[in-house]
Amino acid sequence: MILRKYRWFVTVLLMISALVWTSAAMAQSLDVFKGEKGDLRISGGTAHIPVMKEAAKRIMTVNPAIHISIAGGGSGVGIKQVGERLVDIGNTGRTPTDDEVSKYGLTMFKWAVDGVGVIVHKKNSVRNLKKSDLIKIYSGEMTNWKELGGSDNPINIYTRDEASGTREVFWEKGLGKGAISAKAKVVVSNGAMKSGIATDPNGIGYTSVGHIDDTVATVTLDGVAPTIENVKSGSYKISRGLFSNTKGDPTGLTKIFIDYLFSPEGQKIVVDEGFIAVK
Amino acid sequence: MIKRFGFWMEKGFLAAALWSMFLTILIFAFMLVLGLPLFKEGRLLSLLTSPWAPGEGQFGIYPMIISTTAISFLSLCLGAPLAFGVSVFICLIQPGRPGQWLKKVVVLMTAVPTVVYAFVGVFLLVPLVQSVFSAGSGMNILTACFVLALLIAPTMILIFSNSFNNVPLSHQYAADALGASSAQKLFYVILPASWRGIVAGLILGAGRAMGDTLVALMLAGNAVAVPGSIFDSARTLTAHIALVTAADFDSVEFRTIFACGILLYLMTLLMVLAVRFLSSLKKGTDL
Amino acid sequence: MNRFLEIAVALFAWLCAFVLLAAVGTVFVFLLIKGGAALNVQTIFGGTPVWEAITLKKAVFNGLFPAIAGTLLLVVMAVGLALPVGIAAGIYLAQYSGARMKSIFSLFCDILAGVPSILVGLFGFSLSIFLHKYVSQNIYPCLLISAASLSFLVLPYLIRTTQIALEQIPPEERLTALALGADKLQNIIYVLIPRSLSGIISGIILSIGRCAEDTAVIMLTGVVAMAGVPQSLLAKYEALPFFIYYISAQYTDMEELRMGYAAAIILVVICAVLFLAAFYIKNRLTEKALYSV
Repeated sequence: MILRKYRWFVTVLLMISALVWTSAAMAQSLDVFKGEKGDLRISGGTAHIPVMKEAAKRIMTVNPAIHISIAGGGSGVGIKQVGERLVDIGNTGRTPTDDEVSKYGLTMFKWAVDGVGVIVHKKNSVRNLKKSDLIKIYSGEMTNWKELGGSDNPINIYTRDEASGTREVFWEKGLGKGAISAKAKVVVSNGAMKSGIATDPNGIGYTSVGHIDDTVATVTLDGVAPTIENVKSGSYKISRGLFSNTKGDPTGLTKIFIDYLFSPEGQKIVVDEGFIAVK
Repeated sequence: MIKRFGFWMEKGFLAAALWSMFLTILIFAFMLVLGLPLFKEGRLLSLLTSPWAPGEGQFGIYPMIISTTAISFLSLCLGAPLAFGVSVFICLIQPGRPGQWLKKVVVLMTAVPTVVYAFVGVFLLVPLVQSVFSAGSGMNILTACFVLALLIAPTMILIFSNSFNNVPLSHQYAADALGASSAQKLFYVILPASWRGIVAGLILGAGRAMGDTLVALMLAGNAVAVPGSIFDSARTLTAHIALVTAADFDSVEFRTIFACGILLYLMTLLMVLAVRFLSSLKKGTDL
Repeated sequence: MNRFLEIAVALFAWLCAFVLLAAVGTVFVFLLIKGGAALNVQTIFGGTPVWEAITLKKAVFNGLFPAIAGTLLLVVMAVGLALPVGIAAGIYLAQYSGARMKSIFSLFCDILAGVPSILVGLFGFSLSIFLHKYVSQNIYPCLLISAASLSFLVLPYLIRTTQIALEQIPPEERLTALALGADKLQNIIYVLIPRSLSGIISGIILSIGRCAEDTAVIMLTGVVAMAGVPQSLLAKYEALPFFIYYISAQYTDMEELRMGYAAAIILVVICAVLFLAAFYIKNRLTEKALYSV
C-alpha cells in the first residue's frame, strides 16, 4: 500500500540509483584491466600539452583500453604531483633542480627543446628590444611604449603564475633574475598568455616558442628573433628543454608512453607542434 | 515493529543532521589545522599586511584582502541600485503582467551558470571596456564588477521584492486610501517596513560577491599588486586560492591559501550572524 | 516636487528593468550568435560515430561528449550522495528537534550555504591529499572526491528545502494522522512526505542545477583538461563548466573557441531545463500526491 502511493517517486529513485550503481559496476568490471592497460595520469607544464594530447589521442585510438588524462598547472605542479605519486608523469618546462630530484627521486626525460619568446600585439609597432630594455619593462621602470618608439600608451605587463617553468626560464635567462613588477597581470598557461596578448594592444608577455602563431607578433631580443631555428642554432639564448619526469624509473604504461615520445613517430609530433626534436 | 523501527529512524535522522553540522565545523577545522604553522611562527600580522612576493620571501595576502573588499563593495554599489529599481518596478510600478513576467525572467537568471556570465564577460565586455576607457587591457576591477553586479542582482531582486510584498496589505491599502502616490507609498510605508529585508538582501549580495571565484579569476587580471584604481588589475582572495592551489603542498605559499580560507570563512560567519541578528529584531521596529 | 519625485522613481524603475533585460538579452544573443553555428554533432562527438561514442566503444577527441558525460555522472553522484543525508536532516529539523537545536542547526546550515564554493573545493582537495597520504596511495583528486565535495555544497539546499516543505504543511494536516493513532514515523512516511514531495523534489532539481554549473569546486578536486569519459570512480574526468573556463583563456584557434560558445549554450540549456523541470514538477506533483490513492 505504501508503495502504491510512492509509485512514481520510487521509480524515479530506482532509476537514479540504478544509474549510480551501474557506473560503479562499470568501474568494477573495467578495474580488471588496470595495470598494464590502465590509466595514465599526466600533469605539469602547459607547453607540453599539445604534444601530450596528440600522443594520447593516437595511443588511445589504437588501444581503447588505455586512458590517459592530461592536466596543466605548470612545471611546479608537475614536479610536486609526480613526487607525491598523484600523477604518473610530471611535465616540466625547466630542468628540475637538484633539490627536487633528490627529494622526490625523479628520473628526467628530455624529449624536446623549446624557447621562450617575447610577444606583443600585432598592432604594436615595437618589434625589437634590447635585453636591458626588457628588464626595465618588467621591473616597472619603463612604463610607456613611447619610450621605446611606440605609441603613447602604458605598457601592460603579463606574466605567468609561480608554478610555471616558462616563467622560471624567462626570469633566469631573459631578465637575468630581475624583478617582475607586482602590477603584472597573471595568466595561467602559455595558451592563456597568447590569448591575453592577442587581445591587448598594449600588452607584452612571454610564451613558449612552439606555441607562437600568427595571433601575436614576436619581438627580437638583442636582434635575434625567437624562432625555433634560432633556438636550435643557439643564437636565441632563451631556450629550455621539455621534460617528462617520473618518480624512480618508469614501468609499465608509463614506460611505454615515454618510449613513444622518443620514437620517430613521437619526435615527429614534437616537430609538428613547433618544437625541436632531440633525436 | 514499526515502533522500534521508528526509534532507529529517528536516530538516523539525528545522525544526518549532526553530520551536516559536523561538516561545517570540519571545513573550518581543516583550514585552521593546515594553516596553523603560519600562526605558530608568529607570522600572522605580517601575513595580513605584507604584499605577495614569494620570490622575496613575502607571503602576505594584504593585496588580496584589499581587492576582495574593493570588488565586493563596488559590485554592490552597481548591483544594489539596479536590484532596487527592478524590485520597485515589479512590486509597485507594474505589479501586473509585466511585473510578473519580469520576475520570472529574474528567477530564470539565477539558473544561469556563473562561468557563462564570466565567459561572455571575457569576450564581450573586456574589449568593450578596453576601447571605451582605453586604460589597460580591459581585465580589471571595473569589468569584474559589472559582471558581478549582474550576477548578484537577481538574488537581491528576489529578496527585495519579497520584503516589499511582505509589508502587510493593510498598510498598503491604508496608504492608497489616504491618496498616496506610488513614490510616497514607497518611501513612507514600504521602505520603513521592509528595511530589514533590504539590509539582509544587501548582506547576502555582498557575501555572494565576496565568495565568487570565477568572475574575478577570469576578468580581474590577477595581478599581485594592491590595486590603485578601478582600472587596475586585481586578485581576490578566492582567485588567489584557485591560482596557488596547484603548487607545492608543503611550502609557505601553499599554506597561505588556508589563511585566505580562514578569512573567507570568518567573513561568511559574520555575514550569516548579521542576517540572523537582523531577523531577530522585533517585528515592530520600524525606522 | 511630489510630481517630480513620482516621475523620477517611475523612470528609475523602468530604467533598471530595461538595463537588466538588456544585459541578460545581450548575454544570450551573444552566445547564440557566436555559438549557434557550432551546435552540431561534430562539436559534440568530434568525428567519432555517435553510437560508438555513446556506448564507449571509441573515445571522443575534439568533442564535448566527454565533458557532457563527466558533468552528468558528477551531478548524479553528487546528488545521490547528498540526497539521503539532506532529506534525513531536513526531516529531523522539521519534525523531531526542539526549538533550541533547530536554531543551532539552522545556523550551521546557513554557514555551510554561505561558504564560498572555492573553500568547499579547497576542503575537498585537502581531504584527498590527507586520504592519499594516510589512507591509501590510490586516492587522488578524482570523480569521487569531486562528487563528495559537490554533495557538501548542495547539502544545505536540500536540508533547507526539505525542512521548509515539511513545515509549510498546515497544522491541521500535520496532526490528522496523529489524531487517528499513527505514531510520528508513520505520520512522516505516509502523510507528510507525500504532501511535501513537490517541494522536496524541486529542491533536488535545484541542487542538480547547482552541481552542473559549479566550477570552483571541481577545479580543485579532479577535473582536468583532457581525460575522456571517466571509466571508474577514481578517475579524472572532464566537465562542461571547466571546459568553458579553460577554453576562454587557452583556445588555440577559432574552432576551439566556437566549441566553447557551444558548450556555454549547452550548459545554459541544461541548467534552464532543470530549473523549469523543478517548477513543472512542483505543480504537477502536488496534484498527484494529493489525489492519487
